[in-house]
This record gives sequence, C-alpha cells and structure tokens, in this order.
Amino acid sequence: MSINFKRLKKSIFEKGPLILLFYICISEFHMQFYYWKIFSFNLQFIIIYYWILRDPDILGHGFIFLSGLTNDVVLSFPLGTSALCYLFVSLVAAYVRNATLRSSLFTDWLTFIIAILIGNFLYFFLMNKFAEIQVGYIYVFYNSFFTFMFYPFFWVLFEFYRKFIIMRTND
Amino acid sequence: MSTSRDDFGIAIRSALLQRGAKQKFSLFVLILLSLSIFALDISELKLVKIFRSLLNDGVYRISAISSSPIKFSGTVKDFFITHIFVYKENRKLKIELERLKNKDFQTLYLQTENKKLQDIIQLEKKSAFTTIAAKVILDKNSPYLNSVIINKGSSSRVKLGMPILSEGNLIGRVVEVNFLSARILLLNDLNSKIPVMISPKGSQAILSGRGESKPKLEYLPEKFELSDKNLVFTSGKDGVFFEGIPIGKAMSEDDKIKVKLFSDPNQVSFVNVVLDKSSDAGAM
Repeated sequence: MSINFKRLKKSIFEKGPLILLFYICISEFHMQFYYWKIFSFNLQFIIIYYWILRDPDILGHGFIFLSGLTNDVVLSFPLGTSALCYLFVSLVAAYVRNATLRSSLFTDWLTFIIAILIGNFLYFFLMNKFAEIQVGYIYVFYNSFFTFMFYPFFWVLFEFYRKFIIMRTND
Repeated sequence: MSTSRDDFGIAIRSALLQRGAKQKFSLFVLILLSLSIFALDISELKLVKIFRSLLNDGVYRISAISSSPIKFSGTVKDFFITHIFVYKENRKLKIELERLKNKDFQTLYLQTENKKLQDIIQLEKKSAFTTIAAKVILDKNSPYLNSVIINKGSSSRVKLGMPILSEGNLIGRVVEVNFLSARILLLNDLNSKIPVMISPKGSQAILSGRGESKPKLEYLPEKFELSDKNLVFTSGKDGVFFEGIPIGKAMSEDDKIKVKLFSDPNQVSFVNVVLDKSSDAGAM
C-alpha cells in the first residue's frame, strides 16, 4: 500500500511539467495582459524547450503534439498550427541536446533564441498565408522578446524542480 | 568544413528520428502528422468541419471547467479589492447621491417633455432586435486573436456573422459556430473591420480593430471634422449587420481618430446574440 502510494506520488511529480503544459493550453490562463498588451510571453515554448533539453522523457513528443492541438482548438487556430510550432521548438531543443556536451543556463538561453524565432515565424507564416488571420508584428515581437527574457527565471525554477524529482527518485 | 556539416546532419537526423526510452513517436512522424492535420483543416471539407465542430464543443466545455479556479481567484481578488475601497467609495457615493437627487428633478421634467413631443410627432418607437442571451465561457487572450467563446451555438439558431451586443452596444460578431458554442471576434481585434456611420452628419467609415482597447476609424470623408457629439453606429452597409446598433464615441488620440467603445469587450460575462430584427422591444 505504502509502496503504491509512493509510486503514485513519484509519478505525479514526474508528470508535473506535462500537467502544467496541458493546463496552460486548455484553461483561460492568461499570458497576455489586456491593459498592458505588449506584455505577453509564451510559457509553452519555455516549458517544452527546457524539458526536452534537460529530460525529454518527462514531456514526450506525443503529448507535446496533443497539447498543440488542444491549444489550436481553444484559440481557434487551424488544427496543427501550434502542434507544428511546438514540435519545431522540440526539434531545436533535441538538436542542441545532441550537439552539446555540457549545457549551462547561458548556452540554453542563447540557443533558445533560435527556437523562439522558428516557433513564432511558423505561427506567423501559417496564420498569414493559410488562415488569413492578420497578425500584429509588434505583438509577436514583444511576445518573442519577453519569452526570451523570462527563460532564465523559469530555467532556475525548473532546475530546482528537476533536482527535486531526481532526489525523490533516488530516495 | 565538410566535417562540421556532417556533424550538423547527424545531430539533426538523430533529433528527428531518435526516440527516447519512453517515447512512442519520433519528431519526424509527428511533424508529418501535424502537417497533414493542418492541410485537412484548411481544406474545409464538410466532414472535417463537422469533426472540428464536435471537437470544439468538447474542448470548450473542458476548458471552461478547468478555468474555474482562475475565475474563482479573480472573483476573490475583486471581492477583497471592493472591500478595501468600500469606505472611500461610500463617501464618494454620498456626494454623488446628492448630485443625482438634484438632477432627478431635471430628468423628470425632460422625460415629461420628451413624452409629450413623441406623442405630438407620433414617433415610431425604435425597434429592438430579437436576441438570445449567452454566457461567455472562455476568454483567452493571445497576441494573434482577440476572441471569446459563448455557450450558444447552431442549436440556438446562432449563425456566422451575427452581431453580438453587451448592454445593447455592439462588441463583436460571430466568426465560428459549433453545435453548442460559438466564437466571437471582438471589435478590438486586428481582424475586425466593420462599416459604421458617424452621427450627426451620417459620415461613413470603417471601424478597424488594432489589438488595442480603442479601435480606429478608417476611410473617413476628406473633410471630416471631429466633435464631441460624434457617436458611432453600425451602418449596415455590409448587408450583415443591422443599421443603428450603438458602438461608441469618436475621439482623437495620438493624431488618430479612435472610438471609445460603450461596452468594453474584454470585460463581458454575458452577451446578447442578435438573431433578427424585431418590433418586440422586450427582447432587448
């Protein structure tokens, strides 16, 4: 009984980032503030990039794909748009993971620029060319900028959480 | 040079095709799947549309339920803020009450006079619209789209393009209809363009959303002069909206003519979907 409970607790902790990713995609959780509209950031990109880079088994590509589809439904984008963007962010993270031997906050942060650029460019391209949705360039720029600026903060937070999971696993 | 290119190729190939211990699909397969779904969705096949509509209804309901803790925390915050300012507000209200009492006498006089004048010219009472009330179940902002979801869809006779009112003022239009839900594109969204008429001269213009709280008036007549009395209504020129739905007040800001909306589209909880024109004033 106590072993089962311990396993369940461990499993819940391990699924924490995945639950957060899905919750952000499906709920009314705002990452944009109406009265200061230029301030918005893409927390999904940060979560996906960090966890694919650090521990790919926590999220899983299939779940990233599903969270993208959910986000598309909630925001009324053509199905597959967010999924494609998230998967390309994962691709950059997986590439960086393969190509680098030792990663640090600084290297992660710098390479994250490429992931944001590819992710947001894809959003922008698919929306403009296929969905005929007009996009405010300035809002996309600010979104990319604040996503980049917030990365170190979430990096520290997730790093702490990752160590916490490892500690519980080895407990 | 060629070695570094090889390294890049190997790393990319490995990232695309490699599967971790717990991964069931490679990135390559999922990217292909996403592209296929995207192509199917934008092809607008009838079967895909039906599937999407069912999916939307299901996800919106789950989304509304999962958003309840966020809504609850917002309500709690508002409750505390209201209580903190209650004393200050009370003092302000007492002063306001005195002022309104004085004004009440004037209003009564004007009401009587107005009724008399209406009787004289036998003015037809302004027709209202047949509307249905709907609740906003989801309001998620994004840099790409400014829209809300309501809990009424095609089962309640909601159709594409129908105007949406809040307290009798226009706040947006229906852009997506599912069986049990619909999506409203708000007036301040970048993709919102509505033909309007500006009183008192009846000048025609296009109300264009800018992603900000105040939409902009475009294509105004060359000699248009802004005054305090410039109210903006729908013109009905597009053949979709009915004419005369109040929208807001024209004003100048940053050398542009913008419209201060009568109802803030991002602060609504309940809305009215205009189904048809009606002489039934009670429908409003």
